[in-house]
Amino acid sequence: MTRELFEQELISMPMIVDVPYRFAAGKYMSRFLIGLKDNGKFLGIRCPSCNRVQMPPRIVCAACHVKNTEWVELGQEGTLAGFTIMYLPLTDPTTGKLHKPPFTYGSVRLDGCDSVIDHLVNIEPDVNKIWIGMRMKAVLRSKEQRTGDLSDILYFEPVEGQEKPGRQL
Amino acid sequence: MSEEKEYGPFEVDQHITAHSRYYAGKIGSLFYTTLRDHKKFLGIKCGTCDKVLWPPRGTCGRCFSQLSEADMVEIGPNGILETFTLITYHEPVHPRKAPFIYGIIKLDGADTGMAHFIDEVTFEQLETGMRLQPVFEEERKANILDIKYFRPL
Repeated sequence: MTRELFEQELISMPMIVDVPYRFAAGKYMSRFLIGLKDNGKFLGIRCPSCNRVQMPPRIVCAACHVKNTEWVELGQEGTLAGFTIMYLPLTDPTTGKLHKPPFTYGSVRLDGCDSVIDHLVNIEPDVNKIWIGMRMKAVLRSKEQRTGDLSDILYFEPVEGQEKPGRQL
Repeated sequence: MSEEKEYGPFEVDQHITAHSRYYAGKIGSLFYTTLRDHKKFLGIKCGTCDKVLWPPRGTCGRCFSQLSEADMVEIGPNGILETFTLITYHEPVHPRKAPFIYGIIKLDGADTGMAHFIDEVTFEQLETGMRLQPVFEEERKANILDIKYFRPL
């Protein structure tokens, strides 16, 4: 039985299911994406009840479910809150294409913000060169090339002149 | 951030993409290689239901009997048109640009039908129960598009 199975030619083929779609960004996300596209700025939103700042902005505070009203402008720099080295390809939601591994993916908390944004991190995928708490800055597409989605942030990269604290792994 | 500004509707284009691989399995592979090498169709007979299924599969969909290569039987190549529809819009899942006709074709000797293209005919000329014949690709690659389309006999 096993013998016959191996002698038989078995057919398989790559199957890529690609579903392009368009979504309405909504009131708050539109304002954020327009701010990013036109001015290269990150807009967050502060909760009037718990003072938590969320970015990307949502109408409702994720922690206390109150309507967010106060817009705040955030800077380009922040801190690495977590990271992973990807050994499997990641499907880019903007293009549907695969991002070739290995690469570094991380969560960055911009200064003055309480939530994190997950994005590509432009660091060699080596745990001795990345650490939580590392200072990061956003690298955006040039203004002419920005399209008004999250791919306008190309990646986050470390602020120069930092050294990993503690022992090397 | 003092002045209130009006913002128009704003839309973002994205993709949900699944990169995967389809494995035809033992019975499916035999179906595709026979189609490629001999331009012949294989169905599979469920002895319990006394039905011939096309395309062949490892399990009978009616009674869940386990089927094997020994149950495979040659069917077709001609068949009848069970039902059909005209596709007038383009979707990324379609292997062709609209407009085109999809039909469900029940091959001679089979009890089930399968979808494929119907060509060399206008939509108005089609009728259910019509006799059809397959047109094969010259360079066959062991997939379902080795059958180019079906046309009226």
